[in-house]
Amino acid sequence: MNDRKDDSIDFGYQKVARSEKKNLVANVFQSVAAKYDVMNDLMSFGIHRLWKRYTIDCSGVRKGMKVLDIAGGTGDLTAQFSRRVGPEGEVVLADINDAMLKVGRDKLRDRGVVGNVRYVQADAEELPFDDNSFDIITIAFGLRNVTDKDKALRSMLRVLKPGGRLLILEFSKPVSATLNQAYDFYSFNILPKMGQVVANDADSYQYLAESIRMHPDQETLKSMMETAGYEKVDYQNMTGGVVALHRGYKF
Amino acid sequence: MTLLPLLPTVLFEKLANALLKKDAESPERLRRLAGKRIRLKLKELPFTTTVSVDDAGIYISTADSDDVDCCISTELGVLPELQDTANLTRLIKADQLDIDGDPMLAQQLVGLFKSLDVDWEAELANTLGDAPAHWLMTLWRKSRSHVEKRLEESKRWFKGVVTDEKQLLPTREEFNEFKDNMQQLRAKVERLQRQFGERKS
Repeated sequence: MNDRKDDSIDFGYQKVARSEKKNLVANVFQSVAAKYDVMNDLMSFGIHRLWKRYTIDCSGVRKGMKVLDIAGGTGDLTAQFSRRVGPEGEVVLADINDAMLKVGRDKLRDRGVVGNVRYVQADAEELPFDDNSFDIITIAFGLRNVTDKDKALRSMLRVLKPGGRLLILEFSKPVSATLNQAYDFYSFNILPKMGQVVANDADSYQYLAESIRMHPDQETLKSMMETAGYEKVDYQNMTGGVVALHRGYKF
Repeated sequence: MTLLPLLPTVLFEKLANALLKKDAESPERLRRLAGKRIRLKLKELPFTTTVSVDDAGIYISTADSDDVDCCISTELGVLPELQDTANLTRLIKADQLDIDGDPMLAQQLVGLFKSLDVDWEAELANTLGDAPAHWLMTLWRKSRSHVEKRLEESKRWFKGVVTDEKQLLPTREEFNEFKDNMQQLRAKVERLQRQFGERKS
């Protein structure tokens, strides 16, 4: 939540120097890249597939469109977009982390998702693309790891075509207090242990739980998008608000 | 609630696309419908279903609110009646059906699956082997023919009991005569109403 231009910023519950966060986040994903998909399935009981599918359904993707999948990781969204935009369209899978990008590229190529997918190592805060070049931009479970979220939102708005839409799929705040308590227990007691057993890395999953708590809640993110210049911004809670899908347009 | 309809939708979409892939004629049929989008609003369900077609298959969405080529609003019980175009006008007049856009599109979409010609014996042979697949398909054909025969016999017996023996229902000929008489009577009543209205004014 702390994106102001002071010297320190949140890295989970820790305060770190603003310049350090990118490297620390990179280390986390470098460490979990190989087991990323398995852990996603385990941690979410497979529900992340439905969250992502719902995001695709809300994207309005059509044949021939150009889609940017930021923090695309292991390419779950890219694979589905690639089918839907067809050979006339293009999907750019962008990730700041080289290890995640490699895992994603190998996975998609093994599945035969080739031809209309381009892989770019890019920082969401300074996207290396022309203005007005994408019909749809998605960022799924990536925004909370970005150091300067406001800057990233502005950068995405710049590369979005007029009429295009941004979809942000991200962990958020459960709406019910009971669910919140159960979710806290799960996140801080079970999740790191699962990370230890499966990925041999409890710290990264401790960071995951902490970074979710420090991420802006639904209304805050909505107002951040509006401030950045998006219009008709709305959001939908999924699984009781554990995850929210924010959508905004550039007109 | 957002995710609840998603799971059956995704499963149905996978099944439909898997079936389409099994027929070599599907790509050509899909190409004719590629780019078309149809939405179904059923009164009983709290969400709408949008089907988009492209040359690789169909996509089903419960979250799509963009423009479609045809939007059908109806009730679950009315769906089987939509197969016959002769019913459309009656259903629209009875407020049981509303179609916005190209009404033929829904039938073309259904036709995509009705015209599927899948060689199930060959499909089964790929996984079970030739002999078990042949045995299973022969068993299936025999069972189906047996069941159809028994059903036909039961229907004949039931018809005989209710129309001839117990005379609980009219025969088809009696029903058709009654229908014709009703139509003539309705026409007479309408004519009289019109004449009455003209004299009154």
